[in-house]
Amino acid sequence: MTERTSVYRIFWRLPLILWQGAFFVVPVAFLAVMTFWLVKNYRMEPDFILTNWEKTLGRGVFWDAYWLTLWRAALAAVIATAIAFPAAYTLAFRMSERTRRFALFCLIVPFFTSFLVRAYAWQVILAEGGPVNAVLGSIGLGPYVMLNSGFGAMVGYLTLVLPLVVIFQTWGLSAIDRNLIEAAWNLGATPLRTLVRVILPAARTGIFVGAIFAFILTFGDFVSPFYLGGSKPPTLSILIIDTTKSGQQWPRAAVVSMMMILTLFLTSAAALRIAYRGRG
Amino acid sequence: MTEPLVRFHEVKKRYGSAFAVKSLDLDIQRGEFVALMGPSGCGKTTTLRMLAGLEQPTSGTITINGKVMNDVPAHQRDTPLVWQSLALFPFLSVVENVEFGLRMRGIDTADRRERALKWLDRMGLAGFEARRIDQLSGGQRQRVALARSLVTEPEMLLLDEPLSALDAHLVIRMQGVLTKLQRELGITFVYVTHSQSEAFAMADRVVIMGQGEIEQIGNPREIFRAPKTRFVAEFVGRNNILAGPVSGGVMTTAQGPVPVATADGPAQIVVAADTVSLSRDRPAQGPAIQAAFLSEEFAGTVIICYLEAADGTEFKAQVTEAQLSALQPEPGQPFWLTWDASRVHVMKA
Amino acid sequence: MKAGDILGRVYLGALFCFVFAPIAASFVFSFNSDRFPTLPLGHFTTDWYVRAFSRPELWQAIGNSIAVAAMTALLSTFIGFATAYTDFRYGFRFKPAYLALALLPPTMPLVILGLAMLAWLSQLGLSGTRVGIVIAHTVLATPFAMAICRLRLSQMDPTLEAAAWNLGAGQWTAMRYVILPFCAPAIVSALCLTAAVSFDEFIVAWFVSGLNRTVPVMILEILQGNVDPQINAIGTVVFLTSMSLVIAAQFLIFRRRHHD
Repeated sequence: MTERTSVYRIFWRLPLILWQGAFFVVPVAFLAVMTFWLVKNYRMEPDFILTNWEKTLGRGVFWDAYWLTLWRAALAAVIATAIAFPAAYTLAFRMSERTRRFALFCLIVPFFTSFLVRAYAWQVILAEGGPVNAVLGSIGLGPYVMLNSGFGAMVGYLTLVLPLVVIFQTWGLSAIDRNLIEAAWNLGATPLRTLVRVILPAARTGIFVGAIFAFILTFGDFVSPFYLGGSKPPTLSILIIDTTKSGQQWPRAAVVSMMMILTLFLTSAAALRIAYRGRG
Repeated sequence: MTEPLVRFHEVKKRYGSAFAVKSLDLDIQRGEFVALMGPSGCGKTTTLRMLAGLEQPTSGTITINGKVMNDVPAHQRDTPLVWQSLALFPFLSVVENVEFGLRMRGIDTADRRERALKWLDRMGLAGFEARRIDQLSGGQRQRVALARSLVTEPEMLLLDEPLSALDAHLVIRMQGVLTKLQRELGITFVYVTHSQSEAFAMADRVVIMGQGEIEQIGNPREIFRAPKTRFVAEFVGRNNILAGPVSGGVMTTAQGPVPVATADGPAQIVVAADTVSLSRDRPAQGPAIQAAFLSEEFAGTVIICYLEAADGTEFKAQVTEAQLSALQPEPGQPFWLTWDASRVHVMKA
Repeated sequence: MKAGDILGRVYLGALFCFVFAPIAASFVFSFNSDRFPTLPLGHFTTDWYVRAFSRPELWQAIGNSIAVAAMTALLSTFIGFATAYTDFRYGFRFKPAYLALALLPPTMPLVILGLAMLAWLSQLGLSGTRVGIVIAHTVLATPFAMAICRLRLSQMDPTLEAAAWNLGAGQWTAMRYVILPFCAPAIVSALCLTAAVSFDEFIVAWFVSGLNRTVPVMILEILQGNVDPQINAIGTVVFLTSMSLVIAAQFLIFRRRHHD
């Protein structure tokens, strides 16, 4: 049997290369090429011009959106990490295997519910005359305006990413060798110092990976800022949709996309480096 | 007699409805090397973990230096443990691992670094302080774990099968390191193991546990030569056990009558394999039983022969190579087993 | 139970409440008569369901969704299984790049993927067709299928396949009689999960669907108009459909595990 030319081997290896090559790598590469194309009379023409880059990066509205998106994604990653940790800790250390498995399954459920419908439900729940304000009103508070603000967008981001962050952190925490924790107690560490000196460093990878995913998802999300954040000021994703859907300025939307991909790549690479630093 | 360092008083530990430790009474003196030995599931590790405060006894009291420790949390005890897995912190360097206990006790940076380095030096690990744990060999990790536990200068050190992950030649070397350390430091070592050779080689006193209870406490020689219970006799050494009612100096066993020097009533005797000799013909005098040859096993310089009596009981006899070649045993061939009646150990039934 | 345990459970409960509040609320509001629901709730009604499902365009969208989900499930499960098997069986020089190709798509923001798909499929003349949506969804769903199949293969004794060869089976025969039967539960759950992924996805589908709207795209377009509780009714039905697929997938994975 000649390993090199085996039809069998190629049959199993090729589908991914062909499909993801033709419909993932090529479209993204095409997006990069498109940033240099010319738009004339609402039609794209192959060209090599820098106008799209100059026009996009030269506008204040782009940079406002860029910093807003970056800031919100970073904030959401930090908040989600902090909120998720006590829950992941409880799941990993205070629950039976059965309960933990069931809870993790429940946390997967939201991924299979339309995020749009959930955002719409928040619109209703948080509305000025909605249930939350009704409850607050009955104890003499409010009504508060919660929608169309950074707060509204954050509620959306957290709804999107919290389950995932809890899952990653629980995995990270469950994988810690219990002997390490007991060894810390045995050497005189109080429960709090054990948490800081042993559990957090040992679960570092899971915590960072959770935060990275939270960052990536919020950075690209358009539903939360659009339906709960009020779409003004726009985030990068809203900018892309506006530029694409109104008129045919696809190349400029592609420039925004390239900037997003670059930012995500650099941020994730840096964060992963920290997450795996000092690991074999 | 001075007050013991550790006293277990009627300590019980139950998980659900199962007893891990049934009722334990044990004193451990200052400066002694005690081994807790038994098969897996006998409660030896649970006992050690209760002493370290990692498990709470269901009932009974554990006192250290006269102080009841039941409600003292693990981190407030001075009972460092060397773990079977070693439990070295993979995200800390060698010296940071060793410093850990000192840091938790609030020792300032310069002081704790100095003390940690001194211990690394003592364990032959000078120059390794900045390494990561995964850059060390098994023997080196072992010594880091020891240094980490001893750096706080505790009164006792707990060891939970610390050598079970090492290669055979390293085990012997580490046994030497441990006994030397214990003698030099003069502190108490409580050593849990399932290995007879480790326990007998190092311990002053061996505690044999079986199914959550202490079967026997004694020095290695006592335990080896005078097992108190059938469990101990079967667990340590190569022993043959005969049981039956004794009347007028003769025990009626399932393998036939055997002369025994003990009072009338039910009894058990232990006949060590190295006191048994084999012959083709019935010996003229002394005790003798008949059994069929099964197989032989080379155990270093001697050979263990396995035989089966008519009722199915297995017997062991230790012979030399010369004796074996003189006997020329074939499987199924009948032999007579005999022994010096004065070297038999009598147990109560 | 210690105080810390109780505190932990309460906290966990609160977090679950937050995560599930919108799902539960959407379900409750779908049976509530108020157009702008608040507390106390209005009376029980199935009116929103009746209205939503009497729209012919919804039925068309459901047809599109089912067709797209079914095709996506078949394609992505095949590619995912082939990739998982390649990873399990072979080592080769560009394997890290190969695996990156398999696992990167979910990290790409959907808006960007949607734009890239729209631009590229327009070049190919496939934009606005159901085929276009299937292509895009297969890119997104393949990593999930790959992960599930890989997990199953990692539970397989690698010598099983060699044992089959040793007994005279050729490569294809060993695949047919050893690997595929062993992976069957994973393949079925991959089919369910990838269908669920496709059934819920709306951003990329919105970019490339044109007039062939799927159900989530239709929700998006209703939502751009004004507040309409029909969304809750449609959302609840979509949720129940996806959940049946997910639970079926989980059931298959876990039932098999108990047998092993």
